[in-house]
Amino acid sequence: MRAVLRVLAPLLGLVLATVGVLVVIEVVAEWVLPEHEGGLLVPWPEWGAVLAGLAWSQNLVRGIAIGVGVVGLLMVLVALTARRADLRLVAPSDDMTVTTSPRVLARLIGTRVRASDDVLSASVTASERRVAVTARAWNDAPEELRSTIVDRVQELLAELPLRRTPRVAVSVQEREGVR
Amino acid sequence: MTVDMSKDMSKSAEPPAPVDPRVRRRSRSAVARSAGGDRWLTVLIGLVLLLVGVGVTLLSYGVFGVARAGRPLLDPIILDTVAAQPLLWRVVAIVGGLLLAVFGLTWVARSVRPEARPDVVLNGGADTTIRVSSAAAGEAVASQAETLPGVARARARLVGAAAAPALRVTLWLADDADVRSVLARLHGEVLATARASLDLPSLPVAVRLELERPHPTPRVA
Repeated sequence: MRAVLRVLAPLLGLVLATVGVLVVIEVVAEWVLPEHEGGLLVPWPEWGAVLAGLAWSQNLVRGIAIGVGVVGLLMVLVALTARRADLRLVAPSDDMTVTTSPRVLARLIGTRVRASDDVLSASVTASERRVAVTARAWNDAPEELRSTIVDRVQELLAELPLRRTPRVAVSVQEREGVR
Repeated sequence: MTVDMSKDMSKSAEPPAPVDPRVRRRSRSAVARSAGGDRWLTVLIGLVLLLVGVGVTLLSYGVFGVARAGRPLLDPIILDTVAAQPLLWRVVAIVGGLLLAVFGLTWVARSVRPEARPDVVLNGGADTTIRVSSAAAGEAVASQAETLPGVARARARLVGAAAAPALRVTLWLADDADVRSVLARLHGEVLATARASLDLPSLPVAVRLELERPHPTPRVA
């Protein structure tokens, strides 16, 4: 969403600036050129006539209002979700800030989990609060595989100087075939 | 241009001085280019649109009165109010339009402006100043950081205002890197040297850790 915001923000600024410039041009033109019929750049007299003929209760107005509300809601959602999901690490000094991305943590955990001979494959999602590992095991993997994976992940998390240690959730899916 | 990064490291053994909260804040700001202004302005405009949309929808369905819902969008009452004092409303419209135009253009300029990369000016004597370019300082820090065990690649750049620069360092670590050790050596060796060389004892630093992608091994030997 950060990329969307990077494009959206200057576009919104351009729209506001354009509206402002058009308002100034039209008002000044109407003021100093009273003999000029209609708008200079924008046909606002025609727009005014259309608006004067539309009532608030008409379906067209309702549809446009709902559309405007939805666009507003989308803009709020885009802006609120455009924050960085960084993980903070403990820095050696106070004038230093250390961050990494959840993707890096997920990759480290995935490598550690897949290193086990009993794991066929694993997918990991990580955030500042939670690490979720879904592992697929071989048919003859030991029963205690889940707790082994949890131990391995927690061992890795202890090695990293994370400011906040995430909760670990591991699920082992159905076992497939023999090795 | 090269920067001498080989100063004496004896200073790093001293106990750390308390860090100014402003320096701490600057180190947090240096993590990445801030999108805070864009985010809050977008939220504000989105909320205005949402409120207008909801309000007009409620008005349209007669929540504020059936008679009001049946009135035209361009209400004759509003037209009469404007026609009663044309000069006032013209001035209001012109001032509003100018404010909107200036605000919009300022926002565009701030959004698309490249991030500042300040040079560091060192005092070289009575009538001499030495300017260390942002690229040279960053290159020097990065090349020294790349020598640390566990660091595969490094990139550094000076960011922020020229009067109060900060250093942004990105380290690509090997899978088996000891993160604590890398950070401790970066702080004690690379950054201490950079601070001494650039004569910036309170240089805030933001470090971004990434993992180096493993090189693909050929399938056929």
